[in-house]
Amino acid sequence: MADVALFLTDLALGLLLGCVFAVVAHGLNLIWGVAKVVNVAHGEFIMLAAYGAYFLNVSFGFNPLLSVPVDAAIGLAAGVGFYFGFLHRELRGKESMGLQSEMVTLVATFGLSLVLINAAQTLWTTTVVGIPWSPGSLVYGPFQLPLGGLYVAFLSVAIIALSHVFLSKTYLGNAIRAYSQDIPATQLVGISPTFIAAIGTALGFCITMAGGALLTVWLPTGIRPAMGNLYAPISFVIVVLGGPGKMWGSLVGGLTLGVIINVGQLFVGSLSVAYAIAFLVLIPVLLLRPEGILR
Amino acid sequence: MTRVLEVTNVHKYFGGVRAVQGVSLTVQEGRVVGLIGPNGSGKSTLLNVVAGVAKPTAGSVMLDGRRIDNMPAHRVVELGIAKTHQIPKPFLGMTTRDNVGVAVLYGSRKDRDLGRAFDEANWVLRLVGLEPHAETLAANLTVQDRKRLELARVIATGSRILLLDEVFAGLSPDELREAMGLFTRLQKEIGFGALVVEHVMRAVLTLSDRVIVIDEGRKIAEGPPQQVVRQPAVIEAYLGREAARAAT
Amino acid sequence: MRLPAIRSFGPTVWGIGLFLILLAGSAPRIPVFLLTLVIGLLIWATLAYSLNLITGLTGYVSFGHVVFMALGGYALAFGIGTWNLHPVAGVAFGAVVGAALALGIGVVTLRFRGVYFAIATLVVAIAALYIVLEVKELGDGQGLYLPSSVGFQPLAMFYTIWVILAIEIGLTYIITHGRIGYGLRSIKSDEDAASTLGINAAQLKLFVYTLSGLFAGAAGGVYAWNVSGASPYQAFDLGFSLQMLAMIVIGGMGTLLGPLIGTVAVYLPSQIFLTIPVLGGLQAIVIGIVVVVIALFVPGGIVGTLQKYIPEFRGILE
Repeated sequence: MADVALFLTDLALGLLLGCVFAVVAHGLNLIWGVAKVVNVAHGEFIMLAAYGAYFLNVSFGFNPLLSVPVDAAIGLAAGVGFYFGFLHRELRGKESMGLQSEMVTLVATFGLSLVLINAAQTLWTTTVVGIPWSPGSLVYGPFQLPLGGLYVAFLSVAIIALSHVFLSKTYLGNAIRAYSQDIPATQLVGISPTFIAAIGTALGFCITMAGGALLTVWLPTGIRPAMGNLYAPISFVIVVLGGPGKMWGSLVGGLTLGVIINVGQLFVGSLSVAYAIAFLVLIPVLLLRPEGILR
Repeated sequence: MTRVLEVTNVHKYFGGVRAVQGVSLTVQEGRVVGLIGPNGSGKSTLLNVVAGVAKPTAGSVMLDGRRIDNMPAHRVVELGIAKTHQIPKPFLGMTTRDNVGVAVLYGSRKDRDLGRAFDEANWVLRLVGLEPHAETLAANLTVQDRKRLELARVIATGSRILLLDEVFAGLSPDELREAMGLFTRLQKEIGFGALVVEHVMRAVLTLSDRVIVIDEGRKIAEGPPQQVVRQPAVIEAYLGREAARAAT
Repeated sequence: MRLPAIRSFGPTVWGIGLFLILLAGSAPRIPVFLLTLVIGLLIWATLAYSLNLITGLTGYVSFGHVVFMALGGYALAFGIGTWNLHPVAGVAFGAVVGAALALGIGVVTLRFRGVYFAIATLVVAIAALYIVLEVKELGDGQGLYLPSSVGFQPLAMFYTIWVILAIEIGLTYIITHGRIGYGLRSIKSDEDAASTLGINAAQLKLFVYTLSGLFAGAAGGVYAWNVSGASPYQAFDLGFSLQMLAMIVIGGMGTLLGPLIGTVAVYLPSQIFLTIPVLGGLQAIVIGIVVVVIALFVPGGIVGTLQKYIPEFRGILE
């Protein structure tokens, strides 16, 4: 009986964790769908957001939830900066980047990724830090779930839902969706592609960094400069699992991966190997279903 | 030995869309078969199936009695069938000569000697009239020259049966005359067989030995060019029932 | 396959050949610290040329190339530690492991294009780290260290990596000037169009990827020999992938001279950086920034730019 309880608890934890993975991946999903580029430095922005939340905690006593809006705002700015720095030259209203441009962006963002990691290492050393915030647990019989985890899972889903509402119900949101489907048509209707791509990218970064702040709740001892190397591949796998550009794909992918990792750890005995397996899931998915699990 | 391409009862469905429904045809080395039909009738899809770019949902494609429909595209080229692209896809960063050279090196001859291969490439360039542009980067070629390059490449592969996808499209009357003359010269010089998908009627009717008409994925007529275009079914496919009635 | 005639060798080949011969000749005579520097240079040049094969020539950007280097190093350490291999045999073992790994990974990942391939290689590299951390035979997360009996043998190391690099450059020359080079360039330009001309892209890509894994594995072996062991977080450092990428991007992708120039351009300054205590951590940052700038604004690298703007160089540099 205890085993079942353990298994179910792990499953539930996996789902909760998966929600946060989902929101973190959702930002990547948006950028992938809108600008059709993959930000290899995605993990580093998660890391920056986590450190942001950490410093807000250390300096002002903010708990991670309070850091979310701050990180989100930074994300917006970072997104705009990223667009004009990396993407504008190559995109400039074109359908998608040519092969050469794609390679260039890949290499450039890879470079950015390592610049950020090393800058973080230089500034903040490789000492692992964390935010000690524990609002208690929800206990029900043999089951125990961390309240912090529940809060951020709820917020994560809320953010994804909000972004969905924004994209489908607002003028700007629809413009973004139109852009991701048909750029010349967007232009014909009088919307500036540059503006849309910039906003779309900014939104993606905003959500990513909000997710980074939320993630810290699960990382009492896990904030370090190279943490992006763990969460970036997770995000990539999630986006591919759910389907690049599919709005609910992030949630489906995130929940799936959260469960695989958490429950997998039970079976394999080691968290590292569980992560390795989760990453390698990418490969069969890409082979069999490049559009993702959702049709 | 005369090479023979046999397409037998080929179906190609994309999910619910039935692009090709039970089409059969034969193309012999040395003969030109025109493939015409309204837009979206499945002509290009059929070419893709023959070339090995797409796999048939049902039916078979045989070259000299040997099934090739389950082979990858590069293997089909090795066996002697090559297809042009409707929108030219040259290797932009390479020169015209290199573009053709690749075709010689990797086509059906599999010649590994670079010297011999480029001699052949130069010959094809001369034949097609691209020699003045041999050293030009393909990216800097005009659209018309790019189409010529497409043709040069498939010829350079040494294929005995060419699949031509709308090579005469978008040309001015003068350019068309020149292109048709070029095609005739090439065909005489090399003696390849060809399956020519076209919308430009003048080209198809003049150059083909035989014409096949496809509508909504099905073959609706086959025969000598002048005969086929007068058939009511063909007129109806293009212009509707009223026009067919008016014509007969 | 006929080898190109010697008289057709251009100035670049003679230049590189001369450079290598000079190095080989002076090796026994120069002070040890300089020799160590040269060994490092040659190791990185080997890595750069190896990445050049799959990324520069074929257009498949690989972020996870460090995985071959790392596992080549582990292969050497394992071979020496467990089977008592001579270090050179260990390097050969590293090459075999690299090639086998590339074959295995490539069969699957080379089906993906562009971004997906890059990410897949990255994911494989990270997953490999996580797996190696758990394998007892490979040090159980603590790394494998060479027994002290192996000692420090700079000359042996030098000649080993020299031979490897020389063979690799030779192969690169044969490939770029031969039929395979045309095939690879076609694939890089438009893989689908290449197939329609008879190029078996899957086979070519796999061949090149396996070769690149072989040399990266060998270089990784010499690297581990040099630093006396292989430890997980040091060996699987993504910064190594970046450095390799930087070298070919800065030098000029797909060219014969590019990787060598790029290696010199990146490695020498980085070694200077390391001697100044404060700047050590900045090294990677600077490399990263330079890569970003060059990738965005000067895609041809040094060789490409020279070829573009100084016509005289077109016949000379390649």
